[in-house]
Amino acid sequence: MFFRKVLVFVKRDFLIESSYKLQFILTWLNIFGSIAIFYFIAKLFGKEVSSHLGEYGGQYFPFAFIGIAFSGYLAIALTSFSRNIRTEQMMGTLEAIFLSPTNAAILIIAMSIWNFIFASISILIYFLFGVFFFGINLSNANFFGAMIPFILSIISFSSIGIISASFVMIFKRGDPITWGITLFSNFLGGAYFPITVLPNNLQFVSRLLPSTYSLRSIRLALLQGYNYKMLISDISILLLFCFILLPISLLIFQYAVKKAKKDGTLVCY
Amino acid sequence: MNYIVETFNLSKKFVQIKGLNSSLFRPFKKKDTLAVNSVNIQVKQGETFGLIGPNGAGKTTLIKLLCCLILPTDGTAKVVGYEILKDEEKLKAAIGMVGGDERNFYWRLTGRQNLIFFAALYNLSTQETNKRIEYISSLLKINDYLDKRFDSYATGLKQRLAIARSLLHNPQVLFMDEPTKSLDFQTSKDLRVFIRDRLVHEQKKTVIFSTHNLYEAVYLADRLAIMDKGQIKAFGTIYELREIVKNNNATIEEIFLSLTEG
Repeated sequence: MFFRKVLVFVKRDFLIESSYKLQFILTWLNIFGSIAIFYFIAKLFGKEVSSHLGEYGGQYFPFAFIGIAFSGYLAIALTSFSRNIRTEQMMGTLEAIFLSPTNAAILIIAMSIWNFIFASISILIYFLFGVFFFGINLSNANFFGAMIPFILSIISFSSIGIISASFVMIFKRGDPITWGITLFSNFLGGAYFPITVLPNNLQFVSRLLPSTYSLRSIRLALLQGYNYKMLISDISILLLFCFILLPISLLIFQYAVKKAKKDGTLVCY
Repeated sequence: MNYIVETFNLSKKFVQIKGLNSSLFRPFKKKDTLAVNSVNIQVKQGETFGLIGPNGAGKTTLIKLLCCLILPTDGTAKVVGYEILKDEEKLKAAIGMVGGDERNFYWRLTGRQNLIFFAALYNLSTQETNKRIEYISSLLKINDYLDKRFDSYATGLKQRLAIARSLLHNPQVLFMDEPTKSLDFQTSKDLRVFIRDRLVHEQKKTVIFSTHNLYEAVYLADRLAIMDKGQIKAFGTIYELREIVKNNNATIEEIFLSLTEG
């Protein structure tokens, strides 16, 4: 029954998304545009190798390309849960959904699966553009090595996303979790530049963020061909984030639903 | 006697913010509002039970409490033998609810797509879903509109789809919160006839509804509860209510006015 419920949510979201045709097309164009920007920024630096980029092969464009692709994906994991709850609140459908005999944890996960499917297709297209139009070299890539930290990153970020959805469930607007993590992850998580360029105290903050370990391990696997054994320290830290964050996030969300029911604000927006 | 719906001193207090304090540590002035106050009602199987009362009387809150959409502050209730605080999922599977808010559908999907989506949330298989949709849509005479987008529906049709959704899983008890709100005279009349003849007499559903329309309440309900300020002021058949106000010829309006501050 869980899979059937997930499937109807995916079908529902696909039908709604595809009914906004222009938005659908603009999303793909946006991918092309964002790669092109960093391609030309990278051209500014030429072929000169930066010491900060040494462990990733030395070139800025592949570094930024992978950073943008995966930080974008992780941003989806971070924001889609709260955005979906907010959308259902605004549309007035949240009460109808919560009236059904479906566990709140299943609902929050099922509501966001489409966002992950869409983000996965986007990242695939992103890589196709990167390889065929902008000459990204993935001949050394270890895709299996990248897959493990990638999955663990999705779980960690989704857990934070579920906590942020809990804020939306109670406070409706003003979600400090997404705001904080997005800001810190983009700036300190190594999406656009290696964290080694940061001063030591900021590097310390970077090490507290899951995106630092996600992006580093995915880059090393895709650009340098590292296998999961070589990435074991990053993978262990990501695993720790998952073990701590996932159960906590589901408990917090259950609490948030209970609080909204107690306050009678399930349908408020 | 076993009742299909029974409440035991059911109460709900809401905390409302009424302004700002000068203290930083307690920035908000709060006020408690007792929306439902020690309500004790019993509804028999197959009965149509009406809740009437002025705005803010607590009718919607009471219905939402019984549907597990709001948690009580005190007391409890049993619906179809399930307690609201202990057996939430089983209880929800046994009830249906029709709200007065037409927003609670996906406007860019067709009626059928909406029904298929909600049927899955009620654990219906694809085969069951298709069967139920066919049956209910012919019952409600909405077959011709099912494959049109919800945003093209007229208000009456939207309300009929809401009833269709509430019947998908064949619930024993149906809660209807102002089901004829914002419907025109003829559509309201048709809906009332449908509720009484098809849902109650043919389908043997227990229906608990709220309304502001006193004549609708008398037409539909076997028994009525008059609510005011969160309390049940009186409940019974129209004859029993006349006895309570000690006037054998009293109209529902007169009964209502004498029992409420409306």
